[in-house]
Amino acid sequence: MPKVFYTQPDGTVVAVEGSVGDSVMATAVRNGVAGVVGQCGGSLSCATCHVYLDERHADEFGEVGEDEDEMLDCTASDREHSSRLSCQLLIGEGEVHVTVPPEQL
Amino acid sequence: MTEIATDYPFPPVTADEAAERYRAIAADRPMTRTTMPFGGDAWVIHRTEAARAMLGDPRFVREPFRTGERVVPYFVEFPEFLRQTLQFEDPPHHTKLRRLVQKAISPKQVKAMRDSAVAYANQLIDDMVAKGNTANLVHDYALPLPIQMLCNLLGIPAEDHEKFEKWASSTLAVAGMSEDEMVTNMAELYMYVVNLIQLRREEPLDDLISSLANARDKDDTLTDEEILPIAMLLVVAGFDNTANFITTGIASLLQHPEQLELFLTDPDGLAPTATEETLRHGRFSLGIPVAGAGALVPFVATEDIEIDGQLVAKGDAIMIDPAATAHDGIALPDAERFDITRQNNPQLTLSYGLHHCLGAPLARMEMQVALAELFKRLPQIRLTSAPVINYDHLSQPITRLDATW
Repeated sequence: MPKVFYTQPDGTVVAVEGSVGDSVMATAVRNGVAGVVGQCGGSLSCATCHVYLDERHADEFGEVGEDEDEMLDCTASDREHSSRLSCQLLIGEGEVHVTVPPEQL
Repeated sequence: MTEIATDYPFPPVTADEAAERYRAIAADRPMTRTTMPFGGDAWVIHRTEAARAMLGDPRFVREPFRTGERVVPYFVEFPEFLRQTLQFEDPPHHTKLRRLVQKAISPKQVKAMRDSAVAYANQLIDDMVAKGNTANLVHDYALPLPIQMLCNLLGIPAEDHEKFEKWASSTLAVAGMSEDEMVTNMAELYMYVVNLIQLRREEPLDDLISSLANARDKDDTLTDEEILPIAMLLVVAGFDNTANFITTGIASLLQHPEQLELFLTDPDGLAPTATEETLRHGRFSLGIPVAGAGALVPFVATEDIEIDGQLVAKGDAIMIDPAATAHDGIALPDAERFDITRQNNPQLTLSYGLHHCLGAPLARMEMQVALAELFKRLPQIRLTSAPVINYDHLSQPITRLDATW
């Protein structure tokens, strides 16, 4: 089973088993990972599942879409070049490493 | 051991018993088919995971309610003007409108409003202290804060705040106005908002009405008919519920001395988790009886859909009871406890999915600020009588909370 590693703002890492095709957001919410809210359930209308995607995955996930781009401008913690909405990151066969921002709300 | 009743809905019982019953119901089944006072039958979901599955599934829609093809199964008859708001739109039209508004109430925007909320909360506390050592915290604190924030958000000029407050409060449970007065106030509010839209179209400022009035979606601009219901929805939903959550949070802390003592050690640090816990546990921590009923606005299934092992047939109405999911005994251990330090708090009071509360970031921020500032300034504050609750109103709000310091 693929694993998702969520690094919390204090540096602790939470590793969760995910399923291929599920999003990094849904996997976090289902497993109670702190710091990922995902209130809109992945409909790109809340900007509360913001994560920083580890550089090793830079080419693995698709480009930031137009709607995602708009919502990334609305996040509570600053947007960086590695910022993604985790509802748009679908788990594949391999591991995924993301960092949870200091604030979502 | 006595068997716990699993009937749903159930009449008012102690909060502990209600939590126990909700747990037993959720252990027994994911949802119950029940006949609502208006609009016939609907499924009511009891488990958090089943609720998330339904709320996150676009095959559940609201179109038939908006068009009037179906009556909304609910505790009260839904007024026509509410059925024309965003809550009852489906994609793609919903998506377009929702994003426009959401950008103005986004986590980032709300963060920028925080300082003004802190300043205003402190001004309210100054006013209370200047008047003596007692206050009705609903009237003097919990209501004015969200009204002020809503005025700032919408761009209501300072000189009109008083008028606006009068109109907007006419919809409140605490106002106790006659139907005629309410209709007159609502009509005046409508006319005021229409004029404001016109004004902002001509001379835009940095506020929500301006951004809606001047928003362009490809070749479309929003018409007044599109903007008005959004503004009205924000007015109706924008402060009544928030005020009630603020009051509930204050009352809950004042009735749980050990939690209050903990809160006072770090009000700013604990305000976020205390807010989530208030949203989750709400009425369970007020020392009043709790009934097993209550639900968010329903949806209709567009095809046969299985949720958590239960078949929901095409055309069935379905909704979630957030008090039930918050006490399902599955998503949370010890759900019957009021614990302001809970890190994982999967409450669904502000809903989830496409139709989650539009003002959620704002409501949360206002609750956090209201709790932190009040207890920082008046740590010795205590209640002088039990909270007064209006049981005749749908949301059963606290209408009076007398305190001294």
